[in-house]
Amino acid sequence: MKLASYRKKSPWILHYNAGGCNGCDIEILACLSPKYDIERFGMINTGNPKQSDILLVTGPVTKRSRERLVEIYAQIPEPKVVIACGACASTGGVFRGMYNCEGGIDQYIPVDVYVCGCGTRPEQIIDGVVQALAILETKTKELEESVRLNKEALKEESQLNRRNIADEIKPAFI
Amino acid sequence: MLLILLAPVIGGLVYGFERIIKARMQRRIGPPLLQPFYDFFKLADKRKMIVHSAHAFLGIMHFVSLWFALGVLLLGGDLILVIFLHLLSTALLILAAYSTRSIFSHLGANRTAISILAYEPVLIIIAVSIFMLTGSFDAAAAFQSEQPLLFKMPLAFIALLLVLPIKLKKSPFDVAEAHQELTGGVELEFSGIFYEAIYTAKWLDYVFCYALVYLFAGNDVLLGAGLIVFTFFYLNALDNSTARVSYKQMLRFSLTVSFSLAFINLLINSLT
Repeated sequence: MKLASYRKKSPWILHYNAGGCNGCDIEILACLSPKYDIERFGMINTGNPKQSDILLVTGPVTKRSRERLVEIYAQIPEPKVVIACGACASTGGVFRGMYNCEGGIDQYIPVDVYVCGCGTRPEQIIDGVVQALAILETKTKELEESVRLNKEALKEESQLNRRNIADEIKPAFI
Repeated sequence: MLLILLAPVIGGLVYGFERIIKARMQRRIGPPLLQPFYDFFKLADKRKMIVHSAHAFLGIMHFVSLWFALGVLLLGGDLILVIFLHLLSTALLILAAYSTRSIFSHLGANRTAISILAYEPVLIIIAVSIFMLTGSFDAAAAFQSEQPLLFKMPLAFIALLLVLPIKLKKSPFDVAEAHQELTGGVELEFSGIFYEAIYTAKWLDYVFCYALVYLFAGNDVLLGAGLIVFTFFYLNALDNSTARVSYKQMLRFSLTVSFSLAFINLLINSLT
């Protein structure tokens, strides 16, 4: 029996807001509503990293949330995929270059699918999740190395910074 | 006998059907009927992560002891024994939750312990009422009684209906699980194949609760089926239409309304 084929039948989603404006989060919740009803694909919004498969991140990574983002990513058991949901999570969006945040979540954790839009449409989110499921099926149970563990944080202007650490280990994921 | 062996499968089907019914009540389409089994197979394929070995072991023992309690109930064993075996299985889960360092897990364990306090006295009073009527604590006596117990102890049935949502962690009494607030409570720290034990134990709980409901039908199979279908729709309608109450409200409601209903029923049974 091929167990991997059941992954795309029951993707459990963990949704994390890394300091966004809540616009994309509203659209994610709209996916659960009767109009879009993503539960018909077996998706559940679990809220528990230890039991989920898909990490759905919204918002630019603020300096407050980046440690938690990596922590949550490390707690999801493999196989797992990460979706950057919205312009902020993909590139930093309108917050890019501000003193309190970073440009997108891919500086901290490896991202599989980028969903554009500010805020994203529910249709786009569903499409992104469906693409993520195709990736999820090809992934293995092997331990993915946590980005955070690979490099010591830089001390920069009296604050810890882990900027650009994803670049250094990206070849391992591709 | 076959029912005991197939109990997880039946419970899974009940759970899948329940998710469809709940979705239809909200005008959604809902997942496929076999969705719980897809979840099951997917969880088997996840990487194994455990907090520590005793935690995982207690989780599996929770499943085993619950199945054992269900087996004793379906074989017509002692009702008091069944209730305490069920208590044991829940206690194992609470121990597992306390053995981790997660604060959510501890909160969930606290609330599960409180919900035991809410439903356990009512179940025991119902068992004593059955003893008063049939002269035996055996479930077999209730299953074989000529006249359905429902008509002799309707108040006890209402009391059972009021505590079943606590037992199955349904709204308005779902403080123990509290999805998105405690994110599962006691089951929080389980993952992968070890979460499967907890997930399947939930299905067993469905079979257990519907077997308790069936006790009230005596040897009337049609009435039993009717009661189970009624309870199923009642639970889902209640789950969809109510909001979560706090544990204090739950405890107060259960110990005043449900407990006194069951107790009045016991008084009437013992007087007549």
